[in-house]
Amino acid sequence: MSAQDASLSPPRSGLRAWLSPEATARIAAGIAIVAIWELAVRLWAPAFVARPSRIVAVFPAVVTDPGLWLAAGQTLGAVVQGLAFAVVLGTTIGLAIGRVPAVERFLQLYVSGLFAMPMVAILPLLTLFFGYTGDARLATVVFAAVFAIIINVSDGARAVPPEYIEVSRSFRGSGWSRLFDVVLPSSVPYLIAGLKLAAGRALIGAVVAEFYAAIPGLGYYILYNTRTFKHSEAFVAVAMLAIVGVLFELLLSRGTRWLLPWYRRDEARD
Amino acid sequence: MNIPHPIAAERKEPSASPARANARIRVQGLAKRYGALEVFRNVNVDVGDREIVAIVGPSGCGKTTLLRCIDGLIAPSSGKVEISGVEVTAPLPGVAMVFQQFGLFPWKTVFNNVAYGLRLAGASKAEIRERVPRFIKLVGLAGFEDAYPYQLSGGMQQRCGLARALAIEPSVLLMDEPFAAVDAQTREILQFELLRIWEVRPTSMVFVTHSIEEAVLMGHRVVVLKGRPAGVFEIIEVDLPHPRTRETLMHPHFAQLREHVWTTLMDEARAAELQLQR
Ligand SMILES: Nc1ncnc2c1ncn2[C@@H]1O[C@H](COP(=O)(O)OP(=O)(O)OP(=O)(O)O)[C@@H](O)[C@H]1O
Ligand SMILES: [Mg+2]
Repeated sequence: MSAQDASLSPPRSGLRAWLSPEATARIAAGIAIVAIWELAVRLWAPAFVARPSRIVAVFPAVVTDPGLWLAAGQTLGAVVQGLAFAVVLGTTIGLAIGRVPAVERFLQLYVSGLFAMPMVAILPLLTLFFGYTGDARLATVVFAAVFAIIINVSDGARAVPPEYIEVSRSFRGSGWSRLFDVVLPSSVPYLIAGLKLAAGRALIGAVVAEFYAAIPGLGYYILYNTRTFKHSEAFVAVAMLAIVGVLFELLLSRGTRWLLPWYRRDEARD
Repeated sequence: MNIPHPIAAERKEPSASPARANARIRVQGLAKRYGALEVFRNVNVDVGDREIVAIVGPSGCGKTTLLRCIDGLIAPSSGKVEISGVEVTAPLPGVAMVFQQFGLFPWKTVFNNVAYGLRLAGASKAEIRERVPRFIKLVGLAGFEDAYPYQLSGGMQQRCGLARALAIEPSVLLMDEPFAAVDAQTREILQFELLRIWEVRPTSMVFVTHSIEEAVLMGHRVVVLKGRPAGVFEIIEVDLPHPRTRETLMHPHFAQLREHVWTTLMDEARAAELQLQR
């Protein structure tokens, strides 16, 4: 999925990196790829296959199409909603696995297994439960995202330095205060790492669900336009997914700084 | 002055009356084992109601372990600890610990770290607003209320941990090398500040330190832990006048006591050195 590729390797070093000699090479490579793509399509592919010049030509019409924005809104809405749900659910289960040995014994195996399982595999099951509706997409997003969060949060909850627990006990903190005042804040960096991973998976989940169950959204928009031989239109939507992926990544990096003003600041030199 | 295991002798009396007339903390026949490692055995120390007991001993002899037993953070393998006549099985109210590794929460600012104990003790918002800045100022951290621990030096973190313990105005203060990371001048300020707090509030203090000078300056008695497994090797009465001030350091008896503690500890260090050379 191009959306995932984009979210995994964004050009994240800012303006300065773009002006460096290394960046010049990067831009040149980009131009070369576009040129080869254009050339290859013109030489060997049927006329309806997307090529850069056509994409640029249809771009104004596509981005002013309310259908595209509606679709983007539907997909994004499901992703954000699903992620929110996955954060609450994943954090709760993750903390329980990390701190309660019995829960860990019961659930660890299933969490690891479900995390590794391709979400496409359970999609038919989810549509059985939820029908070919937005609910099935939401469920797919939650399913795609929640295990990454569970795994990271449980790692974080396990890694709480015993010293902090001891301080809490020494000052007679209750079990709940230990959970909310010590274990949870100490696990937040892990939660955010999990969320970064989960965001990419959630986006894929939403698109895959739209493909499979024909639920209105960006994925379906791409599918529909591809099937009607409007490859260039489809490609704008693909690019949009890529941009959304990058934006998520950016938002989470910014969010980290805002949520964790106390975390890993030792490298800040300027 | 050389009184090995005085409390152990007293324990033989069947009487339930406290060994020291007004003992706040009673450590009786305390032993701690970690698997095959016996950290200390048969430790007997009483700490009076307004007494400062300094504990010195070589690194790894179990000073921190002893404090954690007294605080109720870990269970002893045998023996027991009583505070105000109550057997310690979990941390008690009015008992505060200053941790050797500071134990500050990195996600809390200085203000919130200092407020932590107070909040858990159920202090009101108004109380917290009044007390926290007072103790932050006391340890010389004014202006750093909103700083996170990573923005503080080791010594500043240590002072923050001290303020957190002092803020609950405990009747028992357990301090694990509370000034180890601060510079000489700050250390001196804090030592006398602590002595001043002790003058105005009756507090029992157990004060672990590596500095013999500090032990003699602060302690009413100095407990020397030694051996493998460690035990109370000697309890030295520090019969220096109160209040302890800078003059105390000049007192001829001060030097005598310091030498005494030093020799007691040094025997062990020298033995270890000889063992290494072999
Ligand atoms: N949780 C534990 N499990 C196993 N062994 C431990 C544990 N805690 C402490 N020990 C051992 O107990 C001994 C005493 O440790 P402790 O931290 O009490 O020493 P200390 O006197 O405070 O030393 P220092 O002066 O260096 O702080 C050490 O040998 C240590 O390895
Ligand atoms: Mg120690």
